[in-house]
Amino acid sequence: MTGAVDVQSQVGQVSPEVKAIHRRLKRRQSITRALTYLVGILISLWVLIPILFIASLALTTPAEVRSYPKGILPFIPLSTETMAFFLSSKGIIPGIRNSIVVALITLILSILIAAPAGYAISRFLFRGRDVFRLSILAVRAFPIVILSIPLAVVFLQAGIYDSVYSLALMHTALALPTTILVLSSVFSSIPYELEEAAMVFGCSPFQAFRYVVLPLVMPGIAASAIFTFVLSWNEVFAATILTIENRTLPAQVLVTLNQSSEPYQFAGGFFMMIPALIFIFFIRRYLFNMWGQISK
Amino acid sequence: MSTASRPKGRKKINWAPYLLILPSLIYLALFFGWPMVRGLILAVRDDGALLTLRSEAEHNSSLAGQLPRGTQVGILDRQGNLIPQEELGQSNLLTEVWFQIRGQDTEGQTIEGWTPERRIRVRESDESGAPVSGSVRSILASDADPLTRIYTEADEDSEVVGRMEARTPVEILDQATLEVWLLISGEYENKTIEGWVPARYIRALSDGTQGRIEQGDKSRFTTRYIQRMVNDRFFWPALRTTLLLIVLIIPAQFVLAIIMALVIQADLKGSGFFLYIFAIALGVSDLAVGILWYSIFTQSGYLNSILQGLGLIDSPIIYLSANTRYWILIAVWLAEVWRATALVMVIIVAGMQAISREVLEAAEVFGATLWQRVRYIILPLLRPSLQVALILRTILAFQVFAVVIVLSGGDVMTVLANETYRQYYELRNFNVAAAYASLILLLSMITSFFYLRTVRAQEEVAE
Repeated sequence: MTGAVDVQSQVGQVSPEVKAIHRRLKRRQSITRALTYLVGILISLWVLIPILFIASLALTTPAEVRSYPKGILPFIPLSTETMAFFLSSKGIIPGIRNSIVVALITLILSILIAAPAGYAISRFLFRGRDVFRLSILAVRAFPIVILSIPLAVVFLQAGIYDSVYSLALMHTALALPTTILVLSSVFSSIPYELEEAAMVFGCSPFQAFRYVVLPLVMPGIAASAIFTFVLSWNEVFAATILTIENRTLPAQVLVTLNQSSEPYQFAGGFFMMIPALIFIFFIRRYLFNMWGQISK
Repeated sequence: MSTASRPKGRKKINWAPYLLILPSLIYLALFFGWPMVRGLILAVRDDGALLTLRSEAEHNSSLAGQLPRGTQVGILDRQGNLIPQEELGQSNLLTEVWFQIRGQDTEGQTIEGWTPERRIRVRESDESGAPVSGSVRSILASDADPLTRIYTEADEDSEVVGRMEARTPVEILDQATLEVWLLISGEYENKTIEGWVPARYIRALSDGTQGRIEQGDKSRFTTRYIQRMVNDRFFWPALRTTLLLIVLIIPAQFVLAIIMALVIQADLKGSGFFLYIFAIALGVSDLAVGILWYSIFTQSGYLNSILQGLGLIDSPIIYLSANTRYWILIAVWLAEVWRATALVMVIIVAGMQAISREVLEAAEVFGATLWQRVRYIILPLLRPSLQVALILRTILAFQVFAVVIVLSGGDVMTVLANETYRQYYELRNFNVAAAYASLILLLSMITSFFYLRTVRAQEEVAE
């Protein structure tokens, strides 16, 4: 009885030494915190300043782009002239259209094919599950470069070379492994009990999926779809190898790079970055779902 | 009841996942596995290295032997096989067209017969393009028979109906397409092989009795594409630069990524903002990043602008030129670190989230400094994540491509992926391009294996 009271009083009236330790810890913590902020801001500047540079060049007049020394926004005139010049160059608008078509087909195909596989990995314990998961991981690790050459030869023979559809088929192959892993982690985050409960109340497995699981996983699927879109939008090696007339935007910019002017190059570079700037904002919380899954 | 229904249920569950993964398996086999295998084959298979000789001038007659491409052969005989109308579309056949003509022979008689197309100059054609009339060509070779022979059939072995003089006008009644076969003999491995082959595989020398095998119809294993790759003047610079970039890029990325991850995991206000900023580069293509850094390092770019603004230089420095390769290397290095660190950061943060907070707090309470916490707690617990990030980043670094093209023009400094592109796109050399791609695959696999082995070895030592 008395012992307990003693302990209580000791905890109640903290000795000066403990208080000092506590203060020291607190102070150290706040110094660490300030330092962390400082480091965070420095790294942010490292990321943002180059973007500011290219944005400045893309959003000003061509004369300003050619000038030296170069200025940055907001100290130079804001203008859409450079961007308009880029967009009106030959092959750019068709390139953007092709890029969007390829990315959309890739997105739809890869979600349609990957969602069932992701669901299977997250919901069923079946023989060969680990082998399947591992081989998906292995596929993810293979270089894209080696796929493009033989596929180009095959597409040439099959007469579907230089088409946005065949490029989308290739991009789907690239996106599929990641999409499967991401979607399986998205499905895993929805407890199976919810589905079970729905089935207890008379839903068929399909209905349980349609009315219970699907609405819950929609944001995750959307994030994965956005990521697939960006992947296809950015892909340049296969796009350059598999197309001639129907170039996607990156392929068009790459093959005309040597003969083009600086305003064209900088506006093109910035234009290609825009989807990343917008989409990463929406899916930033899902990034760990996506890439974290890979290391598990 | 329940025991009775269980096996049924289990059976159903057994099939569902396989059906669900089937589409992706088929897709990956079709567009990943198969092209991968084909790519490897393309690098080591010499298409058309061997020519099959037949015992008769027929595609399905028995084999007489094989001769390699480039063999000098004697041409002993020739034969034209009439091609049926339905097979005329096959463009890869070497054909010879014969005309059925009517005209006056040397004796003044009107005769009808067949002669090769090359002996007739067509003068008139009908609306469909079929020739209707022409004249006999004159023969230029001095020792040749100046008269043109007319045969009973579209075959040089058939009976001669008569002869015509040059410039005799003729009506063209019909035409026939023949596939030409040659009887050849050549030496291979000290044996003389004789047999019939379609003429399109042979380049005949001027006198028509000797020739050379241009192209075979069978493939065989070869190392000549790999040899051509290794002997290419860009090969060693490309390999060296690729490896050098990997050695330079990866450590910098990992240090920066770990710092980024610590900032994000520090529970600061606004860590969502930091996360967004740090992750932006994840969605930026290597081409755009190349252009971005080009705007900094080009002669009238931002680096010179800033240096001049600070009064450190008087006139702009040229960074990206053949004389200043190290600046190109630095620019590529910065661009890659800028772009690809985000991926490592995300993988590391995902790994850190799995480390229990109590462990870190306990360490902090016991007075472990930040460095000690990173070195003795975070890094060891992050090992699986680091391993994956390392493998992924190395494989991606082998494929650095657009950044290098933009910053060096593709010639001054080159990497393996760029050479693959050049071989395919500029030189149209599919096989050598496939050899480069296979080399990249091989190097990726070796490094992955190496990482897995070293990490395992370390674990064994630790135990």
